[in-house]
Amino acid sequence: MIASLRRLGFLACALLATPLSFATDTPTSREMWHGAVELQYAELSAASERLEASAARFCQSPDEALRQRLENDWMSAYQAWQAVRFIQFGPVEQNSRGWQLQFWPDRKNLVGRKVGIWLKATDAPDVEDIASDSVAIQGFPALEYLLYDDAMDDQVLSEPAACDLMQAITTHLADTTSALHRDWQAFGEHYLETADYTETTLASAIQSLEILEDKRLGEPMGLKGAPANGYLAEAWRSGKTVRLVESSLEGLRTGFLPGLTTLLREADALPLAEAFRDQLDKTLAQASELSPGLVPALDDEAAFRGLQSLYLDISQLRHLLGNEIAGELGLVRGFNSSDGD
Amino acid sequence: MQRRQILKVGLGSVAMALTPLSWALPAREEVDWLFSAVDDPSGGHFIAGVALDGQTRFMIEVPERCHGGCLRPDSRQAVLFARRPGTRMYVIDGDSRQLAHTIAAGEGYHFYGHGVFDLSGRYLYVTANRLADSAGLVRVYDAANDYAHVRDMPLEGIGPHELRLMPEGDTLVIGLGGIQTHPDYGRVKLNLDTMAPALLLLDRHSGEILARHTPSHHQLSCRHLDVAADGTVVAGYQFEGPEWETHPLICRLDAAGRFSELALPDEVTASLHHYIASVAFSRVSANVLITAPRGNRVLLLDAEQGRLNANLALPDAAGARCDGNGGFLVSSGQGGLYRVTPGTSAPELLASLELRWDNHLT
Repeated sequence: MIASLRRLGFLACALLATPLSFATDTPTSREMWHGAVELQYAELSAASERLEASAARFCQSPDEALRQRLENDWMSAYQAWQAVRFIQFGPVEQNSRGWQLQFWPDRKNLVGRKVGIWLKATDAPDVEDIASDSVAIQGFPALEYLLYDDAMDDQVLSEPAACDLMQAITTHLADTTSALHRDWQAFGEHYLETADYTETTLASAIQSLEILEDKRLGEPMGLKGAPANGYLAEAWRSGKTVRLVESSLEGLRTGFLPGLTTLLREADALPLAEAFRDQLDKTLAQASELSPGLVPALDDEAAFRGLQSLYLDISQLRHLLGNEIAGELGLVRGFNSSDGD
Repeated sequence: MQRRQILKVGLGSVAMALTPLSWALPAREEVDWLFSAVDDPSGGHFIAGVALDGQTRFMIEVPERCHGGCLRPDSRQAVLFARRPGTRMYVIDGDSRQLAHTIAAGEGYHFYGHGVFDLSGRYLYVTANRLADSAGLVRVYDAANDYAHVRDMPLEGIGPHELRLMPEGDTLVIGLGGIQTHPDYGRVKLNLDTMAPALLLLDRHSGEILARHTPSHHQLSCRHLDVAADGTVVAGYQFEGPEWETHPLICRLDAAGRFSELALPDEVTASLHHYIASVAFSRVSANVLITAPRGNRVLLLDAEQGRLNANLALPDAAGARCDGNGGFLVSSGQGGLYRVTPGTSAPELLASLELRWDNHLT
């Protein structure tokens, strides 16, 4: 993914002299990344199991309190996924798992169409039906439709068609995230002993910031050459777009920053790590001050200015990582190597 | 490319001058164009015709990222194809340096980024997806009739990618990637657990599938290939399974039709990062060059012996083509255009452009 790591070349040679591993006192950047991401996948798996249990409880005895709990558990699991979305390689690529968890953007409303088809089906789906169907029905957006879409005003969630569908999706989600966590653990040895994954991890984090800036905010806000379009935002049905962005930033803070700091310290460039941390904290503070939704801000000048500030903060964060830090480390990102055919 | 025979080998010229590879432009100075899909630094999509000095060039802006291309024999035309799941192909006139035609895949179809002409240059064979049932097809177009669509040849499989014409002129060899995609889902791979890739031979007249060779793992997507003058085919895979596994990435169909996979040392296979972009035969010997952009490498192989002759570093190594002198031209996604000559220890940088070359050179 990245052509060269000039400055680290020397370092890598030095590290080869000592066993690359657990014997050393200070963990390497890859050890830190692997450990932190394992915790993030563990949380995603646990939150998905809570969501599955919550859906089962609600369907058994639907009431307002359990519904509220269900919505909260959906959001917690969705946020746990956002936190570890900066990892775009390894087990999450298997069977398009990332897409299974979150099919987005959805320009053709495939999520709505797929849910609509299953709601009308004569036989309720089981988890195998969901597993063999499209990614549009497998993830958090399909559950969001069931919980929040206007069309669900006419269809009570607690009725069998909707409840069975919801339970099948949450079970599939729990299965997928549990497998993801397990596979990440098994992936550890390969990740730790393959030096290229240092570059891969950095490139993946850079790309996640690019997607954050351009796709998750820029396009729905109308900052990328086309008019604003709230339907391109994530979680527009629930109005939680900004909260998801915030979770991704928090995930970089806990999952990515420690390993990055280690890497930059070894490269004698600790000030860059501090600059990244400061900008990340500033961005997080800005995100936490905003209302949860993006769509309402499109028609509200003051709210839109707040979003623009967040967009600019993320843009600076991306520049810091993708240009200054990548430059310092001698990383050059490829064209075909990151998106060939 | 088939029509390019080696014209001046044996002149003993060790000078760097290249044998003319493609057409000359009678009205202007003689220019040998390399065609490639490129992006400019701001992300705009173009088809570029670039002379080998890298300086002389023309650029045609297109609305989508393109991928591979082919030359039309005995003509001044080249055709470049939109990348999956794009829906257009672009006929470029090398004389006028203009876009001559734009042909749409048609409602309900998209292209995969590759095509090839028959020896006469009349019929153009293009890999395509019929969206209604995800059927992989070769769509046939008549260049003598403004590229009218003539017919479709189904491949009994999903995701055909690069195809070439065998030297006898009657058989197409096709890399069937096996990956299902749909424009509604963008570039999401929809069937990674049930892929059925293959290397196919197809009778271009009858549409009969003459052979179907299956890679050793169902997630080895057979994508890019080239054919030697003697009919030997070498194809490259992209592995869609767990990246911690190691599988062979190169297969060969020898001139007698025997299929095999090349076992490179594990560390070499691992260094390719599961991804082969371009395959190009030398027209002079059994040398074949393979690019691996994720591994930032090019490999030179002896296709006959199945021997690795060279393993060279080249950043984001992308498009590849024979240079007519027994060597190769290789583009880099980072903008460089290189010459790789068997026996030399490093690629020679010919030009460095502010362009991102896509995976194929025509």
